[in-house]
Amino acid sequence: MKSVNQHRKPLRLFLSSLIFILFFTMQLFAQDGNAKNGKKIFNANCAACHKLDARLVGPPLKGVTEKRTKEWLFSWIKDSKALIESGDADAIAIFEEYNKIPMTGYSDFSDQDLADVLAYTDDKPVKDASGTSGAATAASLGIDSLQVVKGKKIFNANCAACHKLDAKLVGPPLANIADKRSADWLKLWIRDNGALRASGDADAIAIFDEYNGSPMTAFPELKDADIEALIAFTSHASILEAKAKTGDTEVSNVAEVASIPWATYLVLLVVVLFTIWVYFISGNGFLKLMMTIAILIATGYFLYAWLMGIGVDQGYKPIQPIAFSHKIHAGDNKIDCQYCHSNAKHSKLSGIPSVNVCMNCHKSIAEYTGPVTEERDKVFYDGEIQKIYDAIGWDKEKLTYIEGYKQKPIEWVRIHNLPDFAYYNHSQHVTVAGLECQTCHGPVEEMDEVEQFSPLTMGWCIECHKKTELKVESNGYYAKIHEELSKKYGVKKVTVAQMGGRECGKCHY
Amino acid sequence: MASNKKYWKSVEELNENSSIVEKLRQNEFAEDLPTDQFLGDKETLESSSTSRRDFLKYVGFTTAAASLAACEGPVVKSIPYVIKPNEVTPGVADYYATSIADGYDFANVLVKVREGRPIKIEPNKLAKINGTTNARVQASILSLYDNNRLQNPRVKGEPVNWSAFEKGLSSKLNELKANGEAIVFLTGTTASPTTNKLIQDYKAIYANVQHITYDAVSDSGALDAFQAMYGERALPDYDFSKAAVIVSIDADFLADWQGGGFEVGYAKGRVPNHGKMSRHVQFESNMSLTGANADKRYMIKPSEQAQVLLNIYNAITGNGAAKKTSVDAGIQKVVKQLKAAGSNAIVVTGLQDKNAQLVALAINKAIQSKAVDTASPRYVRSGNDSKVVQLVADMKAGKVGALLTVDTNPAYSLVGFADAMKKVKLSVAFAMSEDETASASQYVAAIPHYLESWGDVNIKKGQFGLIQPTIKPLFNTRQFQDVLLNLMGSNQSYYDYLKTYWNSTVLRGKSWNQALHDGIATRAATSVASTPINEDKSIKNKINDVSAASALAASIKGSDLELSLYTKVSMGSGLMANNPWLQELPDPITRTTWDNYLLISRVDAEAKGLKNWTVSNGALNGDKVNVTVNGVTIENVPVFIQPGQAPGSVALALGYGRSKGVNANMNIGVNAYPLYQNFNTHQAVSIKKVEGVHKFACVQLQHTIMGREEEITKETTLAEFVSKPKSEWNTPPHVSQDHQLVGIDKIDLWEKFDDTIGTKFNLSIDLATCTGCAACVISCHAENNVPVVGKKEIRVSRDMHWLRIDRYYTSDMTVEKGKEEGIYGSGGFFEAQTHPSDNPEVAFQPVMCQHCDHAPCETVCPVAATSHGRQGQNHMAYNRCIGTRYCANNCPYKVRRFNWFKYFDNKEFDFNMNNDLGKMVLNPDVVVRSRGVMEKCSMCIQMTQATILKAKKEGRPVKDGEFETACTNACSTGALAFGDVNDPESKITALKEDDRTFKLLEFVGTKPNVFYQLDVRNTNEA
Repeated sequence: MKSVNQHRKPLRLFLSSLIFILFFTMQLFAQDGNAKNGKKIFNANCAACHKLDARLVGPPLKGVTEKRTKEWLFSWIKDSKALIESGDADAIAIFEEYNKIPMTGYSDFSDQDLADVLAYTDDKPVKDASGTSGAATAASLGIDSLQVVKGKKIFNANCAACHKLDAKLVGPPLANIADKRSADWLKLWIRDNGALRASGDADAIAIFDEYNGSPMTAFPELKDADIEALIAFTSHASILEAKAKTGDTEVSNVAEVASIPWATYLVLLVVVLFTIWVYFISGNGFLKLMMTIAILIATGYFLYAWLMGIGVDQGYKPIQPIAFSHKIHAGDNKIDCQYCHSNAKHSKLSGIPSVNVCMNCHKSIAEYTGPVTEERDKVFYDGEIQKIYDAIGWDKEKLTYIEGYKQKPIEWVRIHNLPDFAYYNHSQHVTVAGLECQTCHGPVEEMDEVEQFSPLTMGWCIECHKKTELKVESNGYYAKIHEELSKKYGVKKVTVAQMGGRECGKCHY
Repeated sequence: MASNKKYWKSVEELNENSSIVEKLRQNEFAEDLPTDQFLGDKETLESSSTSRRDFLKYVGFTTAAASLAACEGPVVKSIPYVIKPNEVTPGVADYYATSIADGYDFANVLVKVREGRPIKIEPNKLAKINGTTNARVQASILSLYDNNRLQNPRVKGEPVNWSAFEKGLSSKLNELKANGEAIVFLTGTTASPTTNKLIQDYKAIYANVQHITYDAVSDSGALDAFQAMYGERALPDYDFSKAAVIVSIDADFLADWQGGGFEVGYAKGRVPNHGKMSRHVQFESNMSLTGANADKRYMIKPSEQAQVLLNIYNAITGNGAAKKTSVDAGIQKVVKQLKAAGSNAIVVTGLQDKNAQLVALAINKAIQSKAVDTASPRYVRSGNDSKVVQLVADMKAGKVGALLTVDTNPAYSLVGFADAMKKVKLSVAFAMSEDETASASQYVAAIPHYLESWGDVNIKKGQFGLIQPTIKPLFNTRQFQDVLLNLMGSNQSYYDYLKTYWNSTVLRGKSWNQALHDGIATRAATSVASTPINEDKSIKNKINDVSAASALAASIKGSDLELSLYTKVSMGSGLMANNPWLQELPDPITRTTWDNYLLISRVDAEAKGLKNWTVSNGALNGDKVNVTVNGVTIENVPVFIQPGQAPGSVALALGYGRSKGVNANMNIGVNAYPLYQNFNTHQAVSIKKVEGVHKFACVQLQHTIMGREEEITKETTLAEFVSKPKSEWNTPPHVSQDHQLVGIDKIDLWEKFDDTIGTKFNLSIDLATCTGCAACVISCHAENNVPVVGKKEIRVSRDMHWLRIDRYYTSDMTVEKGKEEGIYGSGGFFEAQTHPSDNPEVAFQPVMCQHCDHAPCETVCPVAATSHGRQGQNHMAYNRCIGTRYCANNCPYKVRRFNWFKYFDNKEFDFNMNNDLGKMVLNPDVVVRSRGVMEKCSMCIQMTQATILKAKKEGRPVKDGEFETACTNACSTGALAFGDVNDPESKITALKEDDRTFKLLEFVGTKPNVFYQLDVRNTNEA
């Protein structure tokens, strides 16, 4: 069990109940923005897109109250879209800066929650304000930051499949390309390099020959402004990234609530002392009786809870051979779950993607360029990508598969272990019922390391089968049976259970 | 009326004083729990140092330790492909069409492959002619995962690599060639045009090469006869559906006669259609599967069979006078019927004699039988006895330089062959296991299983099949054809060779990929495939059937006791002796597993003082004898008293007693091949009782239906079926309510189960077309991971077959006969019905879980582990079962099976589920049951659910015919049918409304979802 990284259940149960008690007491003191609670809310809701001290999907939030008013922030968090539509200049600027990705609205948060979050973000004000924003850095360098951002977008959408900034891929590296070629030449080349070559341009023919005579895709739809933005990006991207990284070295250092151990001990001590008092000092028979009953009930409760937890591996988060982050892939890069888990549509198994599926993208992505943390820096992530190459035998310098390489499969640790006697079919749920993967697997796109989100107990399955209605629209199979069943049960839409999804033999054979 | 007949399963049941039968009727689990084994005797128990308190401490500690250990699950790895093949989707099965051609069984099949691993053989329904599977073909999948397979080529017992093997072999062969020594290829029937062509090519290089075909169980007589009459060395094809009268003299054509596969046509004629069905008369000595299905069966000694054939021949052609036999009255009736039917009749014989076969062909020619197809004959047997005999003589004389045996095991099945092999300078065996022949050979080439090979097969003229690999070779094996190509110095692979040959000869412009997809290709019968084995065409049509008849008459020689050697549907010629599924398959007639035995009639057994007896737990014991033929003696052969065995005759199955290349627990039975002298299945024999008791593993008395056998199966005669109303011959059951008889549909303990919405599965079993062949049993085994339990467990009634085929004997004493003889109505009639008739009629009845709507098992389960689904299936949740076995006790059909032990990863049950290789055959969609739970037929719910899911994904209703179970899929005659009875258009709904339909023990009121169509016998003798 050495590679299993999870808490012992009884201990966890015990601790969590204590923490609950503790929390209850601490809640009384939380008057104006409780940073502890704020951290919790931040991690649960904001951390997917925000860091305290670095850009992620959204801006860094450390000391955000110094830039914006509390009221502005409240209305932004609750409904940023409405704020943008109302014509708020700040709001529009942020929206534009962050590639027009709207922030999720959190209208269900109370003002107290928001105050807590802001208390957390303010906990330690930022020391180096210049490192907080790429745009700010760019501005200080005298570059049109919007143009660079636009260029990056165009680059990622059109060029990144074949070009990198600083290394050869299918085509040449593009960093500082403006130093080598004129903007006009580049415009001609990008829009129709075939015509340029046909015109007898020596440079164009030389590049064509250098890259094995494979012509570059033409992009006649790109406007002058687009190409200029591209050039701006290729010229300044490296500077931007270097700057952004210096900002990252600042590590969040929110003071952990060190009170947990002593508070726990305190509560325990009180309980123990009270027990001793009841039994040995008080001499009150009735109290003794009540205490005994209370102890028995508590023991019974914990024992039962513990026994029911046996074999339930909710939260199971083993250490995997590759620190594959679903957050980076499905979250940040928005890769569809079924791009990799393509079996889920067709088979009972969702399928762990084979290495050749990884290579579809990682042929051209040999380096990690996203946000990093202290434990997981660029070197770490690049090493993890290298593990794919080691498995399949890819030479990332020559960009070829190594001849005669002895491939070795990646031995993932299985997280969701349904027992052999329970039959589960992914395609039934994905293709027929049209369920989202997240329904059972949780917010995988937010997980760096995947853990078992659902208990996968029979009660959990049945619960869902009881309340979920069938997806019968435009499915010829259900046409007749659904009409008859809904008449029989007197309902508009039949649930899975009413269809027979609670019969033993449907899952146990 | 059907219930006028008395049915019984075992002679023991007819013994009124048998305490055992009574005990078994009252108590399903006859044996007490073996508590003595673990408690020991009282004395030891008392002197034990472990006190009761210690014991409790240990129990407490282990319980605590076990629950603590249960907190942490094991780490499970999940390892994907590095590069996933496009056609593989983990969790979804692929199907590949291929063919089996192992020298004994030939069929076009489909192979179900999961994650690159074949798990099931199914019939290829695209192949209209040879696309059926018998029990052995179904079981052949398990032989792929046989842990006794050869994993490397060997030279003189040492494993070598292939290049060293081929180099060594090549230089040896060249040496022999230089000396002008003869090189002989000895193969079984390949029926492969490409392999034969390849050997021809080899001959072109090495001049002195012979290719001899050897069939362990030979049909040389029939081949010789056909060649003599029609010029081609082949076997006629028969379509029994075109025959109104079928006369068979010892031809077991529903089993292995002439390669088998005739049951499809036969079954078509067995369902009354507009008042007509075929009439089948069988003359034979031992009770065969075919005889058991016959309308009328005559018992005659083997030596009398030829005379019966001759008498029929004489009567039909008028060529000679009849000689007296014991069944003259029967012959007269048969001849009359044959003459009346004219070209709609057929006569077949299983006599292994050229003249007898010629006479049979002559009869069919004389009546111009439409059922015989001589224009497109079959190539499934091509062994030539005289050449094999000559080869053995040559080998003994040292005239053979090199002997290459290919996938055949003559050292086991041919007397004297092993000795003769020692005189051969170079012996090479191409074999799958270290069998008798391989272990006697210098060079042993490990060849792949047919599911790992390329190849082709020409089963019938114009009908070609391809063999393609369905899995990457498991071991370091190489096909014979590839080795041969390498020896010839060709750099072509056999795949290329095959493709080239097919493109030029078979396909001629048609698509190779299409042929590979279909697994079959047809070509007009006019373009004869060059079958190089037919060399001798000079005697064509010179044959005179009159002289054949007189030669046959002259050859008849009777003796006091005659032996007939036969093959079982399970073991066949013994190729798959290491297959536990087949070893545990109960013989359809004797219901005995894991054995062969000398079948003997009651009369002879009593005369020789031989006995069978049933011991207290219901198991069968028997005496043993020594069997001697021509001075060759086989010792300690168990004796099995078989009703229907002709007095004066005994029978013994071939294919058992394999000693090499099989696991120790499969080395069972006796090898009867030493008695198979001159390739004649009939021999004069003497037997002598010896000391000792043999313990049979016979399921005959097991799972008796609590004394209700009399009412369990139904049959009628054609005359009654046609002329009388249904109520006469298929009376619906009545029960007494308030002293009045009411229909079973009028009274019920339970509320009606709402089954009108959605799918409602029903399974139909037509007893008229069920031949009892047991292919369904093996198919069920493979689909549902049914464990093998071994002989010892079978003996104590712990067999695990979800589907059993009950075999009932019934006397020929009917009401009419009773009235004729004037004993009807008296006690004598009952006596006559229940006296162990020496020539009983036989009824087969497949029984699996009946999936009762009002299931008695469901109501008694204390934990609701078995429950009912709306689709009609009786569910069994193994993980919920606590093993009380109440359900089994309360089941009126005795179809529930209890896991007394853990049958996987258990060295006590060293069968396929105890090794990693054998476990590869397991179906991943069905759970492997653990110890202490009840299991039973699920109506293949994994298959029905998969069909429904497929329809849901495609957004359409399920079409009729889409629903299948493993047993219906394997049934070649269509006796088993499955479908949705809530679909008014479906075939199953029509079957349910059929007049012949009845339900098993319907009066119990269980409302089963399995129903039967009663058997109809054509008793018209005029």
